[in-house]
Amino acid sequence: MFVNDLDVKKQAEYLGVSLWRTPSMLFILMGTIIIIVMLLVYYLFKNYNSPEALIMSEVVIVIVLMSIGNFIIRNVEEMAKINKMKSEFISIASHQLKTPLSEINWEIELLLSRNMEGLNQKQLEIVNNVSDSSNKMTRLVSDLLDVTRIDQGRFFLEMEGVNIAEAIKEVVENNQFLAKNKNIEIKLNFPENLPAVLADKKKIMIVIDNLLSNAIKYMKESGSVEIKTQKEGDGVVVSVKDNGMGIPKYQQDKVFQKFFRSDNSGRYQTTGTGLGLYIAKNIIEQSGGKIWFESEENEGSTFYFSLAKSAV
Amino acid sequence: MSEDKKRLLIVEDDVILQKALQDFLTSEGFETFVASDGEAGINTAKEKIPDLVLLDIILPKKDGYEVLAELKQDEKTKQIPIILLTNLGSLNDVEKAIELGATTYLVKSDYKLAEVAKKIKETLKMI
Repeated sequence: MFVNDLDVKKQAEYLGVSLWRTPSMLFILMGTIIIIVMLLVYYLFKNYNSPEALIMSEVVIVIVLMSIGNFIIRNVEEMAKINKMKSEFISIASHQLKTPLSEINWEIELLLSRNMEGLNQKQLEIVNNVSDSSNKMTRLVSDLLDVTRIDQGRFFLEMEGVNIAEAIKEVVENNQFLAKNKNIEIKLNFPENLPAVLADKKKIMIVIDNLLSNAIKYMKESGSVEIKTQKEGDGVVVSVKDNGMGIPKYQQDKVFQKFFRSDNSGRYQTTGTGLGLYIAKNIIEQSGGKIWFESEENEGSTFYFSLAKSAV
Repeated sequence: MSEDKKRLLIVEDDVILQKALQDFLTSEGFETFVASDGEAGINTAKEKIPDLVLLDIILPKKDGYEVLAELKQDEKTKQIPIILLTNLGSLNDVEKAIELGATTYLVKSDYKLAEVAKKIKETLKMI
């Protein structure tokens, strides 16, 4: 993510700004001025003894420092503004996409649930494929919107008591097709009478779906994924364990960063935005829980998250 | 459940979504009315006094918040549960809607028709 801090030209290219606006250049500029000022003060103190000269030099120094400060602040402000406009653009574009996507999804649902008589096997297969694609697209748009909202601090969770086992089963059902295609078995391991957890059901299902679909996606042909839930302290811990490709050690601290994709991921799966785990982390943390993982390259990964017991 | 059919008002300006909701909910055993803008929504609600209103936010003439506020102020309509069904879903939108008295807030693209129907039945205590 970080380009060599002192390579100003590379940084300017990376950030898409002019040379003068790169943080490194501003830093160097500021440093140079501070050094010059110190030398100047030293020189003045040594050679002049009059208070007038000292006051004059101080005035000059303050003016220079304030102008530079002002220049830097204006630059930062402008960058913040551009960043905000970018977020707003994504937000508006995604909203505009959501209406036609809802139309497609609901019409297909209407076709498949109420009007499917007369469709032959092939036609049904085609409609189901269209439905899958449309769902994928909807998810992508939702992910983009969620990321903008997280970044702007406007992400919303509707907290309620959630039966976590039920939520997991629902997600597993939705991923069964993907798993069967790769010959992957999904094992469930739930203890009796788990307490309800405090969460937003739709969003928690997104978290589970992200973890499960990652586990399936980054698995070599065949294998197994185990989803386990355990009572722990005052809540529940859910774990998703795979024996897939794992995450290289040197990249493990970046896993929950926006747009993160591990270096070895491309070998198995080319699609993926790198938004899933970033969103998952934010959902879990905003729900008051924790998310973490253990991973060994070529051995597999286990992702965990905890949620508090619901009071109701 | 062979009692009288529950009556729903759908306030939605997108024709395709309106039709899809109406078809699905009718097949689920509801009697449905539709309105395509905020003003028509208020008038139909006052005239028909439905059991529940499904309300979009971005609407011509009067937006969903205005409709919500007006229906919650009128003695005749203030007890009708209102479910907001929209594609706006940021914190401010939801907070504003709940503050104005909406029963629930659903984001269209996150919900299947069957799930919308389920929420309606839950709200009307049919299940």
